[in-house]
Amino acid sequence: MRKLIVTVVLVIFILVVLLPLLWVVWSSLKPGDRILGAPWQLPAMNDLRWSNYGKAWTEAGIGQSFWNSVVVTAASLVILLPISAMAAYVLAKYPFRGSKLLQTVFMGQMMFPVFLVIVPLFFLLKDLRLLDSLPGLVSVYVAYSLSFTIFVLGGFFQALPNELMEAAMIDGCSHSKTFWRVMLPLARPGLVVVGIFVGIGLWNEYSLALVLNNSPQNKTLPLGIPNLTMTQQYQSDWGALFAGLVIVMAPVLLVYWFFRDRIHEAMLAGAIKG
Amino acid sequence: MDRRGRTAFIVSFLAPATLIYGWFVVWPFLQAVQFSTYRWRGLSMNRQFTGAENFKRLFGDQVFWQSVGHNLWLLLVCGVVTVALSVGLAHALKGGGLAGRTLRAVYLFPQVISLVAVAVLWQFIFNPQGLLNGGLRLIGVTKPPTWLGDPKLALGAVGAAFVWYVLGFYVMLFAAGLQSIPEDVFEAAELDGSKGMHRFTRLTWPLLWSVKRVAVVYLVVNVMNVFALVFLMTRGGPDRKSEVMLTYLYEQAFTDSQFGYATALAVGNFVVIMALSLLILFIFRRDPTTRKA
Repeated sequence: MRKLIVTVVLVIFILVVLLPLLWVVWSSLKPGDRILGAPWQLPAMNDLRWSNYGKAWTEAGIGQSFWNSVVVTAASLVILLPISAMAAYVLAKYPFRGSKLLQTVFMGQMMFPVFLVIVPLFFLLKDLRLLDSLPGLVSVYVAYSLSFTIFVLGGFFQALPNELMEAAMIDGCSHSKTFWRVMLPLARPGLVVVGIFVGIGLWNEYSLALVLNNSPQNKTLPLGIPNLTMTQQYQSDWGALFAGLVIVMAPVLLVYWFFRDRIHEAMLAGAIKG
Repeated sequence: MDRRGRTAFIVSFLAPATLIYGWFVVWPFLQAVQFSTYRWRGLSMNRQFTGAENFKRLFGDQVFWQSVGHNLWLLLVCGVVTVALSVGLAHALKGGGLAGRTLRAVYLFPQVISLVAVAVLWQFIFNPQGLLNGGLRLIGVTKPPTWLGDPKLALGAVGAAFVWYVLGFYVMLFAAGLQSIPEDVFEAAELDGSKGMHRFTRLTWPLLWSVKRVAVVYLVVNVMNVFALVFLMTRGGPDRKSEVMLTYLYEQAFTDSQFGYATALAVGNFVVIMALSLLILFIFRRDPTTRKA
């Protein structure tokens, strides 16, 4: 009896999680005017509107936003990961006067919400002529991911034994060669976890992009989607919007599915340490 | 020679991260304090030092206090609902079975998809013609509410979307907390005749102390920083009945160009979060399960 109740509760919550997501998927294949007209109706199997995806991609500009998101996320990670690894490595393995202080300063950003600095940041980018540009958004994304990335990678480097470094140095490696050839490859699991984690976060990021990037050719996906709720409402054709929702959700769900065990671990480690 | 090599190495490895961080994080942070003292409208550089004027205005600003109230309401209601549901589900997951494994596989889906997708999705669930009202009509409710259009229900509807979004994370947290309690503690309790509700209130709940502390801190940070959900679902409406601190800040800064006042709002938001966090650390200052020496 008890077991039955537990199972029923679990099944209810599985539905609560999945039903809204499935609704988006099946709605994206329906004629646009039937999505709100008959929300519970499944799409007719002989009339699947794949054209909604085409409409979203080209007419509604989701294709452009998609590529902007790909470029911004990839560029941010390509810049972020090496420079954070370098800093984390030095802070973990080369103590110097003031290194503890510097470490504390690097952690500072995790203590305050980005909205605290959003106005100064807006004007900083304006002065640098980086406002409303992809390089501007990348710079900000790198800067505001440094704290977390250095924090996590620092843990990984700390766990690597010093003997490895010393052995490499005795073999004639310079400090930097030791890092690139020996220590960085050993920290690869850490780089993968942080990369996935930060990558998902940046792919989804909304607030900074909303404030900083406004013109249609510079919008990322999280900006492009709500844009559709405005442009489509006069035709009450929601097909492209729901197709757009699938386009923004699918890549992260895919990545999550492949790395879910590591993501679980990382989230728990972060939560319990932090 | 080696020392100089070491110093050069340290400097060159720290330089890129430090420069970017200093420029885009530390500098704007310091400026935020400065900006909050300016009377500054529009995009011109014409700004004027006014001391604490913005903060005086903040104290008298009814909309600000109303939005703080909405944040606190969300914190309280969503917090209680989230913690209750996630503790319950964490227990249910312990039983395992196929349903347990399935829920484990999917419960973080809402958390990893974009908050924008969550907001738009729930906007359409709560749409007068949406999934929810469609369902209510199917079971015979003739006049279902308009949810986001109803001043009394809008904030609650946003709260429901919020709980859907965060729940998986807290289930994961409490499930890990339950797992960290050694099995023999439960066996010993069972021998002493403690089970069910008694075991939960006397044993499990106090032993979850450290997880509860993490959960509450996360809830404060999450709820006090809620922006995208409200901004996309209701824009703070109708009639500011779901306005929260950050949507009000956004409106002041980027709709009304009141940059000085908006920065003061940001500082106010930060102070509220800090005060709540300190309060929580005070409440959770001592682990009740470890005796004082």
